[in-house]
Amino acid sequence: MLSELLQGADTGGFLIIQDSTNCSGQHLLTSFISAVLNRDEFVHVLGFEISEEELRDGLKGSPTQRLHFHNGFTDPLGWTNHPAFTVHQFNLEELTHIVKQTSQLKPATLIINSLSWILRHVSPSAVCKTLQQLKKGGAVRTIIGLLHADMHQKGTVGSVCHLASSVITVAPGMKADEAVAKITKRSKSGKVMQDEEIFNIKEDLTVIVQSKPSQTGSKQPDPEEQEMDPTANLTFNLRLSDTEREAKEKLALPFMFSKEKKTALLHSSPGSGRILYEPDANDDYDQEDPDDDLDV
Amino acid sequence: MYTELNSILSSTPDSFTQGEFILVSDRQSDASFLIHHFLSFYLRARCRVCFLGLVQSFSHYNAVSQRLGVSLAQAKEKGQLIFLEGLTESLSFLIPQETSTESQAMDFLRDPTVSLRHLYEFIRTSVSSSGGGGEGGAEEWGPPVLMVDDLSVLLSLGVSTGAVLDFSHYCHATVCSQLQGNMVMLVRCSEEEEVDDGDDEGSERLLRGLTHRCSLTLHVQGLPTGYCRDIHGQVEVCWRRRQGDAQNTQRKLFQYKVNDKGASFFARGTSSAVL
Repeated sequence: MLSELLQGADTGGFLIIQDSTNCSGQHLLTSFISAVLNRDEFVHVLGFEISEEELRDGLKGSPTQRLHFHNGFTDPLGWTNHPAFTVHQFNLEELTHIVKQTSQLKPATLIINSLSWILRHVSPSAVCKTLQQLKKGGAVRTIIGLLHADMHQKGTVGSVCHLASSVITVAPGMKADEAVAKITKRSKSGKVMQDEEIFNIKEDLTVIVQSKPSQTGSKQPDPEEQEMDPTANLTFNLRLSDTEREAKEKLALPFMFSKEKKTALLHSSPGSGRILYEPDANDDYDQEDPDDDLDV
Repeated sequence: MYTELNSILSSTPDSFTQGEFILVSDRQSDASFLIHHFLSFYLRARCRVCFLGLVQSFSHYNAVSQRLGVSLAQAKEKGQLIFLEGLTESLSFLIPQETSTESQAMDFLRDPTVSLRHLYEFIRTSVSSSGGGGEGGAEEWGPPVLMVDDLSVLLSLGVSTGAVLDFSHYCHATVCSQLQGNMVMLVRCSEEEEVDDGDDEGSERLLRGLTHRCSLTLHVQGLPTGYCRDIHGQVEVCWRRRQGDAQNTQRKLFQYKVNDKGASFFARGTSSAVL
């Protein structure tokens, strides 16, 4: 489903990449920008968390002539008196204006890096309103926003995510180069699809979807759990080879009573000694109590 | 400067990554030994250092640095070090004397609701004036470095978390991005692990906000098993910038012991007292 989203099938979509301090969504966002640029579409980036140089540096290899960067990085609050783009310009009129300035014909994709920055300075209701208007407005084809979920209250994250047509939550994967994406996608018919995929991002920003963990949510066992196998590093052998098993089965143990042993014990061979016992007078053998002579 | 930490971070005063934002944090422990490390490191690397000392007096930092083989007083004289002594500065701001020239840097003390804009402007002028140098025959210094010890003091003084985040954003944009310098900031967390989600303000949120932006974090914690004489705690080093194919953060955990003139770092369980 992740590769579907990267191809950007539907117009009027609003996609949120949610991350936390454990796993940054910045690389996935760059991959999305690169994917849009490779489709020859216009991209407008509202950059608060990343400088233009850093972004263009990260997008090496992608055609960047259709990339328009609106610099909210150097002066987002107007402290130095010549701000390029401030956080307070985040409203429908301003955004439509700056998008229409450069891409008159084709609707463009708007990248917001990040929504968290805006939500810190503009009230959540105003942000939601602007986003909703942008979705309906027509100047913007798709909106892709990055949201640091652990920076806001749950209610704020929830209300912004309700607007989105797709939400990708990134989480750290098992290996260092992998990450897990939990995707919730709402199609126009109202159907909600959820999926979980493991992906990694290559040097050239292509996203490789590695596998789909099964739907039942049976996760791969933790590496720690695997290490806990008690039979892993034994100093002795727990298993038998076939020859060893054969030898083991052949061995007769002392307590086992075979037929030969029984006959040997019961019928002594001729010539061997026998014990004959004839009780004499002193032997007061009592049938009733054979242990009479014992001092008990 | 601790050479063991240098080899962990694979940096030397002669060659280190520029444009880095290093976040130092601690919980139930004291990470100020790392601040002293980075201060002496960057002074040895001939960087121009702007130090925001909000916790201790200049003589304290000077005394510790002397043990690490760097003289702050000399560096200050040469113009290599710009030291904002928060303690005396705030006092002279609150009780103005006729002789002292009042700086605007600490004006958030009067009204914590205003932004830290003037403090930022102080930093901007001090880090970007590196080229000229007022005194004759000023030496050429390397990339600028901003160090803050520590940001959570600002929270205690009544500044909101958002304002501190804005302040650090501007510092990041100016020092790391524009001037390709480095930035080291210390944040102290409250003793409790995690307060509830509804808590909007606080050092936890500040730490999370800064963690999203930094390229390297050093998180110092006490030992989970309690006090130990031979191991003072553990430090989690976490590289957040993309390195090669590893897109996620790379973490390493070390235990440390701070000595009189240095600190030793070792893998977990390999303390000389244990082995």
